[in-house]
Amino acid sequence: MQERQSETADLAEPATPWITLVWNDPVNLMSYVTYVFQSYFNYPRAKAEKLMMDVHTLGKAVVSNGSREEMERDAMAMQGYGLWATFERDD
Amino acid sequence: MARAFKRKGELFVAKLDEAERAVICGLLDQTRLLLAPTESLADTGDAFADLVASLGPDFGNSFTGEEHEHRRADPDPERDPALDRLLPDAHRGDPAIAAEFRRLTEQDLRRRKSDNLARASAVLRAAESERVALAKADAEALLVALTDTRLLLAERLGIQTESDVEAVEGIAARQPDHPLAYAVAVYDFLTWLQDSLAGALMGRRLFG
Repeated sequence: MQERQSETADLAEPATPWITLVWNDPVNLMSYVTYVFQSYFNYPRAKAEKLMMDVHTLGKAVVSNGSREEMERDAMAMQGYGLWATFERDD
Repeated sequence: MARAFKRKGELFVAKLDEAERAVICGLLDQTRLLLAPTESLADTGDAFADLVASLGPDFGNSFTGEEHEHRRADPDPERDPALDRLLPDAHRGDPAIAAEFRRLTEQDLRRRKSDNLARASAVLRAAESERVALAKADAEALLVALTDTRLLLAERLGIQTESDVEAVEGIAARQPDHPLAYAVAVYDFLTWLQDSLAGALMGRRLFG
């Protein structure tokens, strides 16, 4: 019963087909990238550090998802901080 | 001798002597001039401030090679490549979306960045002694300004990847008189300063 409920809840989630990505740049310090993810997205420290490590070791990380308009806003904010950010449809 | 940023009560405090402050302000100003398109990047009469100008767009590529991933799908040959480093394409794979985003955001981003760089330079110039004590908002302005400045320096040094960093650090270490060495030393100094400021603003060490 519990599982059925969560399945239904998942299906009812609004579609969020766009994502914002941050790409690795050797200029961007681990401390700074963590700071930006914490202060702009209000992510908890552990989540900000995990995303930063993904950028650092995997070359990129999905830092947010939502409508295209929201992702354009996030990508612009990340570029404002000097991070290498792009947005795209999450296919 | 410089001392890194530390939090002291409500302030973020570092020790930077007059020459160090002059180097930083000169580079913040050069970055602002690049981003504010109406002003010229020409000689400012300040030896430190002219560091970036003297390096030129192709300076570093002769040491690290030009085979790099471009931050822009259709680079404009008339435009300084450092601008595309600071304002890369925001969409990969669809040049029309990237161009539209650029049309809508670039002027606003350039204005915000140049205003922020001006603020950071002004608060450093306001320091009357080597004790630089910044309120949080000014510290955040300097933190972001140092990123833009390091992006410009990195672009001039040909640093696009982690291995480029090793290449230029290696040249600078082996040949202290090489034209690259002074710029690398300045880049490393800004990196050290920015890292300390980010740490002080976050309150505790990474993974702490």
